[in-house]
Amino acid sequence: MKRGFFFKIAAQNIRNNLRLYLPRVLAEAGLLGCFYILLTLALDSRLAEALGGSYLSFFMIFGAVVIGLLSLILILYVNSFLMKRRRNEYGLYSVLGMEKRHIIRVLWAESLLTSLLSILLGLLFGMLFYKAASLLIGNLLRAEVVAGFYYLSAPTVLFSALVFLGLDLLAFLVSGLTIRRMKPVDLLAGAHPGEKEPRIKWVMLIIGAISLAAGYAIALTVKGPLQALSLFFAAVLLVILGTYFLFVTGTTFLLKCLRRNRRFYYHKRHMPAVAGLLFRMKQNAVGLASIAILATGVLVMISTTVSLYSGVQDTLDAHYPRPFYLSAYRTEGEEITNLSFEALRGIVAEAAGEKGLEVRDVEWTDMLEVTYVLQDDTLLTRTEVEGGWEMEELTGALFITEDTYARALGAEAGALNLGKDEIAFCRISSSVGSLRDAPKTLTVAGKEYRVREQLTHFPVSLGAVAGIVDQVGVVVADEKVLEGIYHAQKEAYGAFASEYTGRIGVTFADEKAAEAVGMELDRAVEEKLRAAYPGKLSISLDSKWETRHSMLDMYGTFLFLGILLGFVCLFSTILIIYYKQISEGYEDRERFQIMEKLGMEAREVRKTIGSQLVLQFFLPLITAAVHTAFAFPILLKLLKMLMLSNTQLFVLCSLVTLGVFALAYTAVYLLTAKTYYKIVH
Amino acid sequence: MELLKVTELKKTYTSRLGGAQVQALKGVSFTVESGEYVAIMGESGSGKTTLLNILAALDKPTSGTVELEGKRLDAVKENELAAFRRHNLGFVFQEFNLLDTFTLRDNILLPLVLGGTPAAELEQRLKPIAESLGIAELLNKYPYEVSGGQKQRAAAARALITEPRLILADEPTGALDSQSSAELLWVFAQMNRRGQTILMVTHSADAASHAGRVLFIRDGVVFHQLYRGEASNEELYKKISDTLTMLRTGR
Repeated sequence: MKRGFFFKIAAQNIRNNLRLYLPRVLAEAGLLGCFYILLTLALDSRLAEALGGSYLSFFMIFGAVVIGLLSLILILYVNSFLMKRRRNEYGLYSVLGMEKRHIIRVLWAESLLTSLLSILLGLLFGMLFYKAASLLIGNLLRAEVVAGFYYLSAPTVLFSALVFLGLDLLAFLVSGLTIRRMKPVDLLAGAHPGEKEPRIKWVMLIIGAISLAAGYAIALTVKGPLQALSLFFAAVLLVILGTYFLFVTGTTFLLKCLRRNRRFYYHKRHMPAVAGLLFRMKQNAVGLASIAILATGVLVMISTTVSLYSGVQDTLDAHYPRPFYLSAYRTEGEEITNLSFEALRGIVAEAAGEKGLEVRDVEWTDMLEVTYVLQDDTLLTRTEVEGGWEMEELTGALFITEDTYARALGAEAGALNLGKDEIAFCRISSSVGSLRDAPKTLTVAGKEYRVREQLTHFPVSLGAVAGIVDQVGVVVADEKVLEGIYHAQKEAYGAFASEYTGRIGVTFADEKAAEAVGMELDRAVEEKLRAAYPGKLSISLDSKWETRHSMLDMYGTFLFLGILLGFVCLFSTILIIYYKQISEGYEDRERFQIMEKLGMEAREVRKTIGSQLVLQFFLPLITAAVHTAFAFPILLKLLKMLMLSNTQLFVLCSLVTLGVFALAYTAVYLLTAKTYYKIVH
Repeated sequence: MELLKVTELKKTYTSRLGGAQVQALKGVSFTVESGEYVAIMGESGSGKTTLLNILAALDKPTSGTVELEGKRLDAVKENELAAFRRHNLGFVFQEFNLLDTFTLRDNILLPLVLGGTPAAELEQRLKPIAESLGIAELLNKYPYEVSGGQKQRAAAARALITEPRLILADEPTGALDSQSSAELLWVFAQMNRRGQTILMVTHSADAASHAGRVLFIRDGVVFHQLYRGEASNEELYKKISDTLTMLRTGR
């Protein structure tokens, strides 16, 4: 037989089964397109230059890998589904005298045709949307240079094509092996194997329940951001495992319980639905669990990235009472305070003047930040701690004198009038939340201080510090007390001890103009500093715009990835649902025809089908919502590390995402339900 | 008492393309008395499946009427048809049509459950029927776990459990080996002896020879009928064979 013959049959087959093949081709094209876009974004040197983003390449490649893995799973899933549906056809070929190797050649031709079609479409899609994608990411990152590129690189095209060709080849090999292992009779029987009643797999059920509970427990009890980071993936894996196992066995278990309840079971609406679902779940559990997990992924990804991105301004406002800070370390006895204050102010004013800005106001703060272990109401240096300490107990304590406090607050300051052994205490950030009361007393360096005032706002901050460890602020009476604390920690930590930090915070007459000049000012100040203090002092510069730039850079990248991956996940969900529904429609047709003959009313048929569908559709969505709810505490802690502490914003973003997702999901449900009814009736 | 009365039943199919008309039934009339066991014989294409579908109210005749206990089928409203079928008719199909997601017990109980029988009542209705059909031990098995004959007995039990006026059987032995066929036919005979009216469509002379009366359908009309009278199964079988031969050869 000539090669052309097989291709002719293959093309005919694909045309006849368009309802099955079209979604597969479109899905693969979509995945490939996204894969290509991410890869190109990662490798596009002009984009990298324009954005100056260092995270970009890494995260784009990460995204591409995720899409690649997802494609692998999806293509194999869809493939197994197609094989099941078309077995009869292949069986017919063998009855008509085709040998298995011929059937495999038909299969090969079909695979090759669909694969090439998908890849061509996908590349086209990718190239067309690349400009849109680069515009979007440029916009998100607020890089003004990017006008969107047309960009084409032969290696990327080739690589993307090869990866998906490889995936399709794998799918072909799997199908080919299935056909080879089968007898023609099996091929004919194909779609209707004698199904066995699913059994409750107790071990699986117990492991699933335990791992889900463990995952939830981790999410709920995790203490600080650091722990959250280290345990997050463990929790995710546990929940995924739990979801799969519980969907596979838990549903069977529940349905069997329902069936055992005779009063419930022997009811005209319950009996067909329960029995149908019992068998349905056996085939569908994996698909439904995948949908639940994908949906959770979409929810988490989009809500976190959106809230991170939209929370940037909030974060900046919280961390930058003034837009520009210079900090210098000094050791005790150095007469830096006054000298440097004037000098630094001069440098900033000069640089600002060059850029056409006018300095409005300069604030000087002198502070000491020491890392302690906070146990109960005692700040211990790490050398003082007996036994180990928990990461969560690490606390950065920021000491200032009452003078500094009053100066920083300016006019609004009410005098604290602290005595020698009195302090004012503030929890600047705490993983337990600022709800926790300040202790009545605080012991530092072996001396007990009475907490005279509990502050809700601390006027001094170290700029944008990632909230990994808790921070407390302490106002002490005067320099003498501060010096005592300084010496104590100096003794304890030796070479690693903290030094005083002198910092000036600057505001400008025209904030908007300052924002516009932004980093140019930073560079000018840096230059002047280098000239004035060659290698002498460690002076660090921290500006609102610099931080905004790096935050937007990072969160813009996250958001872009979140949107793209969220889109891909949604897409995959739709695909899985579509195929599931179609395959079930074919199987259910006969069942419902029989029931109608036995006197089941058409109305009841519709209702039964409806309740089966609704349960199958919305179980994953509900699961996803529950997963997301449980993930909340741990996500909040992770976000905190990324400097977002606006819980409300995050809750809002999550709810909106859930709403949008549920809407899209319901739309898909209605659409598929229609196809389903059509097939069944 | 007259249970079923079929009068001048006609059914014309129009093919979708070209509008060519095919007359499946050309005017079938017969009656079935309560307690009768009637077999309808005919070759493929003779119109017997069409007839059965109309009797089961699954299809509508082009003209003519079907009356069950004096009630005309076409007078039953569309939304009451399912209930009507449930109350009056029991079905036994060639391919058994057992649902593979139900155990035999649930398959048999299904019509009762669909009819809203309370759960407490179900088991006592099931028990005598399952025992008389010899499948009491198999009730917890799934259709794929039992033999064809056992499946068909379960299907018969399902038809009987609603205590229908009339059992319609469509080639009930068509998918059974001779041993299972014989068993099933014996079951049918038993059922009939207890007063159950049965209408069976078949093209097996052996199956028909168990009936009390045999109707022959050819080309859409009732061509001939045989009464058992005092004849034994074997004698009736002989008569049926002769009639079939005559049907095939002479006009």
